[in-house]
Amino acid sequence: MIIQVLVNGIILGSLYAVVALGFSLVWGVMDVINIVHGTMIVMGAYIAFLLFQTINLDPFLSIPVAAFVLFFFGFYLQRYLVNFVVRAGVFISLILTFGMDQVVINLLLVIFTGDYRSVTTSYAGSNFEIGGVVIPYVRLAIFLISILLTVALYLYTTRTKIGNAIRATALNRDAARICGVNVPRIYGITMGISAALAGACGCMYATLQTFTPFDGGYLIGKAFVICVLGGLGTVMGAIVGGIALGVAETLGATLFDPRAQEIFGFIILVLVLIFRPKGIMGTK
Amino acid sequence: MVQESKKTIIAFFLICLGLTLFPFLIGGYWLRVATGIMMFATITLALNFIAGFAGYAAFGNVVFMGIGAYTTAILMVKAGIPWWIGIVAGGLLSSLYAVLLGLPILRLRGHYFAIATLGVNEATKQFTLIYRDLTEGGMGITLPLTSLSISAFNNLVYFIMFAILLACFLTSYVVSKNRVGYALRAIRANEDAAQMSGIRTTYYKVLAWALSAFFTGLVGGLYAYWFTFIEPANVFDIMIAVKAFVMMLLGGGGTVLGPVLGAAVLELISELVWGEFLRVHMLIFGAIIVLVILFLPSGMMELFRKRYSLSALLSNLKERSI
Repeated sequence: MIIQVLVNGIILGSLYAVVALGFSLVWGVMDVINIVHGTMIVMGAYIAFLLFQTINLDPFLSIPVAAFVLFFFGFYLQRYLVNFVVRAGVFISLILTFGMDQVVINLLLVIFTGDYRSVTTSYAGSNFEIGGVVIPYVRLAIFLISILLTVALYLYTTRTKIGNAIRATALNRDAARICGVNVPRIYGITMGISAALAGACGCMYATLQTFTPFDGGYLIGKAFVICVLGGLGTVMGAIVGGIALGVAETLGATLFDPRAQEIFGFIILVLVLIFRPKGIMGTK
Repeated sequence: MVQESKKTIIAFFLICLGLTLFPFLIGGYWLRVATGIMMFATITLALNFIAGFAGYAAFGNVVFMGIGAYTTAILMVKAGIPWWIGIVAGGLLSSLYAVLLGLPILRLRGHYFAIATLGVNEATKQFTLIYRDLTEGGMGITLPLTSLSISAFNNLVYFIMFAILLACFLTSYVVSKNRVGYALRAIRANEDAAQMSGIRTTYYKVLAWALSAFFTGLVGGLYAYWFTFIEPANVFDIMIAVKAFVMMLLGGGGTVLGPVLGAAVLELISELVWGEFLRVHMLIFGAIIVLVILFLPSGMMELFRKRYSLSALLSNLKERSI
């Protein structure tokens, strides 16, 4: 029983990690709290929905498409909007992206209406059992893809030239520029990668539950908690935070009150902020 | 205490007189709009205590509106207590909440404080959703209808809202002119230096947040009484807090008059947009937020100072971009 709960928690947590990966990257690299991130995930979900409806494409196969589309969305959002205010401080960019979020949500609302949508594959209900622990195939796939995306991001930011430029810019914007880094472009790429991860996440999110254009706020709430739990701007932080939140929520729901699942995350958030403001893994 | 010129004082009293006569000059729809503007002006002024003066971005400040609304609703429905006691109780309880929470979380700086307030709002909202025995959960609470006629009720709400706004405005004015205001501005400029100079930073920050919570709570209580129906999604709506932030930025944070002007302008615009474009009004409102942040980051007064020149507005963009 307790193992089942832990497994459920870890699987949920791996999806949470991907919810927060891109958000954390943008926050860590350019000190921008991107409120549109949640809605970018929803956009990914709608892309999966559209492809599933029109050409019956499997939602997991629509991940590359969603990532590709969202990359350009993120890139241009950064280049032609957010870049104008990055030096003004984090609250200005937060409010700017909040306004942008309202625009995108309402465009989605006009295009797709507010109806609940879902992507139900033929294998949605099937699962397998190991040692008494039941694991649905969909969730296993989500777990594996989440790990894959996380590792890919880690390798990209540490092993490639652009990845190094991103990390250099995060450390010191002006020093990076002096060394020949095209900072506006790197910022654009960073936001693009973040958006691409959000798009991939959205395709997986679509297989798990129904969604409407308004789900972004809920997802952003999760991303906040995860970033604070794990510490900001690192790939490891997102994983640790995501899995910690997933396990805490499922444990809390099982041990105390199933209705209270949502509340745990936020109580943990406030407690961690008070006692360990740099995250569970953070150094003082 | 009062250091304004005679002209300013006379103008202030004339405006107050005008606003007192307002309900007798106009009817239904515009009276509601005016009450709505006053509501947002109060919320923005209240936010200004903590976010404008002290520089602490309390994005989750709407939590106090929710607490005020639910206190009033629960007291009225479950205990049969008169509405005005409920509203005052809502304000006081919000203040208490702010003090208890403020002691730990006001130690956090910058975005960590902002996120903590968002977390507090979300946790409180979930709490009201879950504990149905007290709050009716997602069903919301329907408050007892008033025995007054519709127009008398609207007038009553208008005057109470006006009274709360006036109280909040005068408190802001007093705060801005006395040592509390100076302490808060010192904290905004450099908290460590303020502490070094002997300012009890924690005390003043908590005081500012408690004031902010008190007035927001009062507004929440009156909102519940006014609309006679509240639900968690409605009174804990983060959109309200962000709207107040934009209003504060538009009018100029850390001033006394700015937040009121910002609220009036933005709420009027949003009311007009809402009337014209029912389906896409939030889209247009989002676009307005984006434009304000891009072109008028230091408030609309700048627009007048720079004499509407396009190049001045564009220079705003250049200064903050990379």
